[in-house]
Amino acid sequence: MIIETENLTKRYKRYKKQEGLAGSIKGLFHREYEEKIAVADFDICVKEGEFVGLIGPNGAGKTTLVKMLTGIIAPTSGRIQVMGFYPNKLENAFKQQYAVVMGQKSQLFFELTAEDTLKLFKEIYRIPENEYKRDKEFFVDLFQVQELMNVQVRTLSLGERMKLELMASLLHNPKILFLDEPTIGLDAVASKQIRTFLKDVNESRGTTILLTSHYMEDIKVLCKRSIVVNHGRKIYDGDTDLLFERYQKSKRMTIYFEHSAEPDVPEYCRVLEKTDDKLVLETSKQNVEKVLESYIGHYPIRDIGIEDEDIGSVVERIYKGV
Amino acid sequence: MKKYLEIARAYMKAQLIWRADTFVDVILAVAKILFAWILWSILFEEKEQIAGLGFQSMISYYMISSYLFQLEKSAEISQQMTSMLRNGTFSKYMVIPVQTQGYFVAMEAGKIAFSAGIGFLATVLWSYLFRVPFVQTSDLKILLCGIIMVVLGLLFMALLNYFLGILTLKFEEISTFLMIKDNFSAFVTGAVIPLALLPEELTAGMRFLPFYYVTYLPSMLFIGKCEDEAITGLFVLSVWCIVFLVLNQAAYEHYRIKYDGAGI
Repeated sequence: MIIETENLTKRYKRYKKQEGLAGSIKGLFHREYEEKIAVADFDICVKEGEFVGLIGPNGAGKTTLVKMLTGIIAPTSGRIQVMGFYPNKLENAFKQQYAVVMGQKSQLFFELTAEDTLKLFKEIYRIPENEYKRDKEFFVDLFQVQELMNVQVRTLSLGERMKLELMASLLHNPKILFLDEPTIGLDAVASKQIRTFLKDVNESRGTTILLTSHYMEDIKVLCKRSIVVNHGRKIYDGDTDLLFERYQKSKRMTIYFEHSAEPDVPEYCRVLEKTDDKLVLETSKQNVEKVLESYIGHYPIRDIGIEDEDIGSVVERIYKGV
Repeated sequence: MKKYLEIARAYMKAQLIWRADTFVDVILAVAKILFAWILWSILFEEKEQIAGLGFQSMISYYMISSYLFQLEKSAEISQQMTSMLRNGTFSKYMVIPVQTQGYFVAMEAGKIAFSAGIGFLATVLWSYLFRVPFVQTSDLKILLCGIIMVVLGLLFMALLNYFLGILTLKFEEISTFLMIKDNFSAFVTGAVIPLALLPEELTAGMRFLPFYYVTYLPSMLFIGKCEDEAITGLFVLSVWCIVFLVLNQAAYEHYRIKYDGAGI
């Protein structure tokens, strides 16, 4: 196993401030702390070459888990090994073998060009010159970023920057790539491109990837195996297709009308939002076709959007065992 | 070692991106010398010596000490560390195979390398063009001691500020520590009260502290004064650097494990 944890737990202590000025003054002399369990008794085993999705709502404990696996924070208790290392020792031999990309944090130098940052990473990771040249060419070609290499990072769009972040993180050929919300803030086109690259990297280089996201699409397209986390606990660990088949039962449909309309709503739909020219419905996956049939041709429709149910509802369903 | 040189080089390149800052650096280096020239010319009109220094020595001292003072920008280290720890971006240094202490020292070296070069060229050019009567030591050993002392002094200040940055892991808010450091440093170097006004025992005690050797003593050595203190100065500074190298390593290892804040 390339990643293995047993009863991994992380507890935080945080200051519970009483409200108002009096509370602030009281806090100068006496403070009360409360304990928050971010990750509780977490067991996880990941084999080399796997592409695993870690999903859960905000505050579920996903990022804390990734921080423990990468050694950024120490666990409170439990056993953890990543590639045979105890991560929080932060040994260089360990850090040499993995990479982390966090969607909201950058590894690049904003003042410099991507080329300059890559040169720095070449030295930091002691990449031999011929390997560096070969791999750089491979990724430049894969990510199609020839024109971006000598542009100041500060001036790049979020999507362009993310491609270069991935490139910088993969240059030393890590065994494990930890991705924390890599598509956050990206538009549909850029997200799709990033997903294609990640799939390619996993398949062609055998890189083990642990992807944290609360975008269903990322997980569905990329990960054969998914782990669902809620309140710091693992509530599902298994096949991704099975997860969505079993627990993602509804679709959210948004219908835009050409002008004001008073459409009938089928009894098997729940109205989430309704304005003069917009109707948002929730219905079961099986009924989507029926809903489309009942509107198309009967009302002047400008556009229709169909989305998967959000992660919160799926988690809730798994939790309740429904 | 090569990786730290590359880090320094990357930060030096980053400094060069800002053209306005680069030009202001050059202008400031020249303007300071011009200002000193005018000021000390007026003060020396009626006196032969001030604080034991003649006009030429005083101008030379001022040029060197202001040049060294301009190089010392290490407060940026503690400010950057504290802000990165608090906004959660510090982890980028923890996940790459470098020592964070080495990274920050190399970063600082890269940042000041450019200022050092430009400042030096501006000072030499100005002295030559305006025939500034520059006084310097003729003893090569003392000159070498002065240069090593400058390097050690800058290293010490970088290590001290790195230590203060680490304290964010424990206290989260370190502005009080930074204020204490600035005030103490100003007091010990004579910027608040002239050291001559203090009791002899107190000033003698200050010689065991590193701040005296960061800008003041090397400046004096370069103009050929206080030469008997050169070796003692190097020894004291070296000890302080070693102490902080060890202290920083231990403090970082201790506090990073205990740190639970959302920042890292």
